[in-house]
Parts: sequence; C-alpha cells; structure tokens
Amino acid sequence: MSTPDANLSSSAAPAAVAPPAGAITHPLMKTMRVLVRREFWEHRSLWITPLIVAGLMVLAAFPIHIGNMQFDDKGPDFTTPENRLGAFTLMIWAQTVPQYLVMAIVASFYLMDCLYTERKDRSILFWKSLPVSDATTVISKLLVGLVVVPLGVYLTAMVAGVLFQVIWAIRVASGSLPNIAVAWDTVAWLKVQGLMLYALIVCILWFAPLAAALLLISAWARKNVFLWSTLPVLIAIIMERVAFGTRYIVDLLQYRTWGIWDALGVNPTPAQSAGHGRVVSLADLFDNVGMSKAFLNIDLWLGLAVAAALVFAAIRIRRYRDDT
Amino acid sequence: MTAVIEARGLKKSYGATHAVDSVSFAIQPGRIVGLIGPNGAGKTTLFKAILGLTQFQGELRVLGRDPRSQRNELMQDVCFIADVAVLPRWLRVSQALDFVAGVHPRFDRARATDFLRKTDIKMTSRVRELSKGMVTQLHLALILAIDARLLVLDEPTLGLDLLFRRQFYDTLLNDYYDKERTIVLTTHQVEEIENLLTDVIFINRGHVVLDTAVDTLPDRYIQLTVTSENAAHARQLRPFYEREVFGRVAMFFEGKTAQELSPLGELRTPSVADLFVAKMQGRQQGGVS
Repeated sequence: MSTPDANLSSSAAPAAVAPPAGAITHPLMKTMRVLVRREFWEHRSLWITPLIVAGLMVLAAFPIHIGNMQFDDKGPDFTTPENRLGAFTLMIWAQTVPQYLVMAIVASFYLMDCLYTERKDRSILFWKSLPVSDATTVISKLLVGLVVVPLGVYLTAMVAGVLFQVIWAIRVASGSLPNIAVAWDTVAWLKVQGLMLYALIVCILWFAPLAAALLLISAWARKNVFLWSTLPVLIAIIMERVAFGTRYIVDLLQYRTWGIWDALGVNPTPAQSAGHGRVVSLADLFDNVGMSKAFLNIDLWLGLAVAAALVFAAIRIRRYRDDT
Repeated sequence: MTAVIEARGLKKSYGATHAVDSVSFAIQPGRIVGLIGPNGAGKTTLFKAILGLTQFQGELRVLGRDPRSQRNELMQDVCFIADVAVLPRWLRVSQALDFVAGVHPRFDRARATDFLRKTDIKMTSRVRELSKGMVTQLHLALILAIDARLLVLDEPTLGLDLLFRRQFYDTLLNDYYDKERTIVLTTHQVEEIENLLTDVIFINRGHVVLDTAVDTLPDRYIQLTVTSENAAHARQLRPFYEREVFGRVAMFFEGKTAQELSPLGELRTPSVADLFVAKMQGRQQGGVS
C-alpha cells in the first residue's frame, strides 16, 4: 500500500508504478518554477556575473583608505553626524550602482539570446515535445530577465552592502580607518533599502517594453540578434536626423531609459543636488518621495501595454515558426 | 475503435511545392506504423503537422484533438524524438530528469533512472560529454518513462551504429510498447525495423503510395524470381517492377495469385524494403515506358 503522496516527484517508490489516471493538470506555478530554474542552468552568466560583481564590491572595503584623504574647503564636513549619515546612505546606494549596471547588460543579452539559441541548437524541438505552452515558456524567460534577476541582484547587493559595512567596522575598530568612516544607522539603512526596492519595482515596469522588444527580436531574428537589436534603431536615428533634422527617436529612447528618474520623482545622483557642504541623506528621500507618483504616470501603463503586445507577438512567433 | 491519428485531405505547401498533397490515412491504436519514403517525400512535414509544429490545410485529428489549436493538451499524451541532436548540449542528465519531472504530469522518474542505470551514462554528465549513442539512450530514457499514448519517432537512430540501433528498437518493443500505445516512426534503415512494424505507409512526393497492414502484404504482393528465358513470358502478366539479380529477374506483382505465377519460377512475399524500392522505382519505370 502506498502512502498518499501529494507531489509526483522522485521521492515516489520505484515499485509504485501505477500511473496517474485521467487528465492531470500540472500546477502552473510548479511548471513556472522549473522553467525559471532551467534558464539559470542554461545561462549561467545570469547568476555568476552578479555574484562576481557583488564579491568585488565587498572586497572593495579592504583597499580603500580614508585617513590620508585631503578634503578641500568646498568639500562636505564629515565630522557632523548629519553629513556622516548622508554619506552612509550614499555609500550603500553607490555600491549597488555597478551591480545594477552589470545586471542590466547581462539581462539584456540574456533576453536577446534566450529564444534565439533554442532555435540555433535545435533544442526547441525537445522543449516543444513537452507539455509546456509557448506562452508559459516565453513568459518564464521574460520573468527571468525582467524580474527574477533584478530581484536577485537586489538581494545580493543588500548582502554585499552589509558585508562591506562589517569589514569597514572591523577596520575602524582595528584602527586602520578613522572612526568618522563608520556611521551605521539601521533606520536609515532600511529606508534606503525600501527606496531602492520601490525604484527597482518601478524600473521593472518602466523597462518592460524594452525587455519585451529584445525578447521579440530573439524570437524573430534568424541570425545576428545583437545587430537586429541595435542597428535598425541606429539607422532610424540617423535617417531621421538627415531627412527631417529632428530627434524624436533619440528623445523617445532617452525617455524610456533615463526618463525613469522623472517617473520615480527622484534625481539619479542625489549627491549633485546636495547643497554646498551638505550631504543629502537618501533616507530623507525615502520620506519625501511620492510613492504613488510613478504609478499614476500614464506612460508607465502605456509602456506595459506595449510590452504585452510585444510578448504576445513573441509567443505567436515561437508557436508558429517552422524553420527547424 | 477511434483512430489515434486521422488525416483527411491534409495539405501543406511551401511556396509552389506541395510537401504534402491531399493525404488521407488513419492509424489505429496499438499499431506500430512505419512511415516510409525517400528524402523529401513529405514525412517530416507530416510529422510536424501531427505534432502541431506547423500550419496546414485539411483535416487532422490526433487522439481526437486538433494539433493546431489543442497542442498543449495533446503533448501530455504524445511524445516525440525528432532527431538525435535536439537535446541541448549544456543540459546535465540530472537536470534533464528534474526538468521533465517538473513539467510532465505523466513522467515516472524512477523508471527513467532505472533505465539509465543500465547504461554508462552518469547523472552528472552534460549532454555535450556524451556520445551520440548515449544521447539517444538518454532521450529514450526520458521518453520511455512518460506514460504517453502516441510516440512519434523521426529518424531516431540516425547516425548510430548497429548495436545502438538494435538496442534502441529492442528497448522500444520490450519496455515500452503495449496494446494501448501507438508508435509512428520513420527511418531509412527499413530492413532493421520491418519485423517490428504492424503497418506501413509509403509516401512519395507528398502522396500516400501504399497504406496497409504488414500481415496483408502476402495476399497482395508477390515477388517472382524467374530465369532470363522465362522473363518475357512473365512480363506479359504485367509486373509493376522488375530488377535483375545474378542473371535472374525479380518481378513484383500486385493482385496476382500464387497459382498464376508459380509455374514461372520461385515465389515469395517481398520484404518491406524490397517492396518500398519496387513501389518507388516502379512508378518511375511506369512513367518512362
């Protein structure tokens, strides 16, 4: 007699060969989880690269020396607690920037590549021999590039930041750094994390159409995915410039990339906006930023509608394409 | 009994060429059907249509479903190996098991593991590290562990040596096939599988040339071997194909009785492979003369 086993996984005894009868619906969430894992098996750069960059950020805590640093007269005065707190929050933020930049590159190449390689190595016929719909597959890839990897980087960046602070604190305690260098503040740290999570979520929504466009090119291009992703846009920009002397495409692209900061209601480099000799704290920004502003931005939702249309097109192409 | 696959007026054109032209056939459950035809005959197109991988005109039901609109449901009951090369090279054996177990409700992982244990394949190996034969074994292990009703194999043993090929079909027959399951397959090595087939469908230039159960072949086809002297006489009975072997002539007849032919020479039932050649070449001969 076999015990009722909710999942159909490997734990089932080999002897119990009674196959499940009738139509079985596989839970979509389980399928999605496996599909997401699959992407990390194939595209190992998705997790290796962010870990390497995060590791470098932690290691950066060792060589930096502050003791001999000369502050000019115009520089902020780090002896005031206010400025030290501001510097603390800026440091946490600044450490994440390289990690997000690298992630953006890795995720872009992944989205360009994922639907193309499965055709190139003909493995698409294997994936298609399994009961997974084209919609589920394509959405799983978008989810990986647009949500899973960014959230993963958010977490690794957070851990890296904490480790950095720990090393920093040890160095201060051992006397290799002046004690002005440490200014841990849990509330400020939480606020910065909250602010960055909010920014990340808005970014995900804001960049969805670009991610979907890369996915569509990946599903469509017969070769040279990278060129197809970049060259037509470049040519269009140049032609627009030559023919009409205008720059609407550039403006649109800029709006769809750096325009995120307007949508968020924050300045990308808060340090620049700081007044003379004063370091603005990102924690204050958390208090002041209008969280609803981005979600009331009509362009955010228009972008999502475009993204949905592009993903739909990518699904159709994967479903009906017949050139393997 | 309802057919596993039923095609009526199936058509598929690539530009001006008709890959499949008004093809009709029905495949019953529990059969092992060899879909046999020369290169470019339309076999692969037909398979793609059955598996919902391509668009087509006409009517096609697979397990009572339309592969165009109900592909996802269909793939729970259908397995296919399209070619030996389709397992991605980066995939580990353990990952392959994890993946199929994760997405296929009818996959029995223990069964696949048991099968793999009999091979030299290691769980930690990547597909790129395996030999061609081992990749096919792995693919077969995955497929055999799925409780499907229809198995479609398109040149599954392409590029494998004789031992692997023999083992592949033995495993298929002994470990997989039963009266509820249907297997449709193509291969160029017709001789090796003809003992395993219950039905054959010959296809040439998008048309079905022959569609019959193997056990009805003796009643329909006779291969007559005559000496050169008797050849002219035998030719009057209108064989659809003939060829010379060691100074004797082998002639292929359809719809003639043994009584009519036995006075002329030796009689036998042609092998599927010989019949295939006769059917394909015979059409050409007929067209020329």
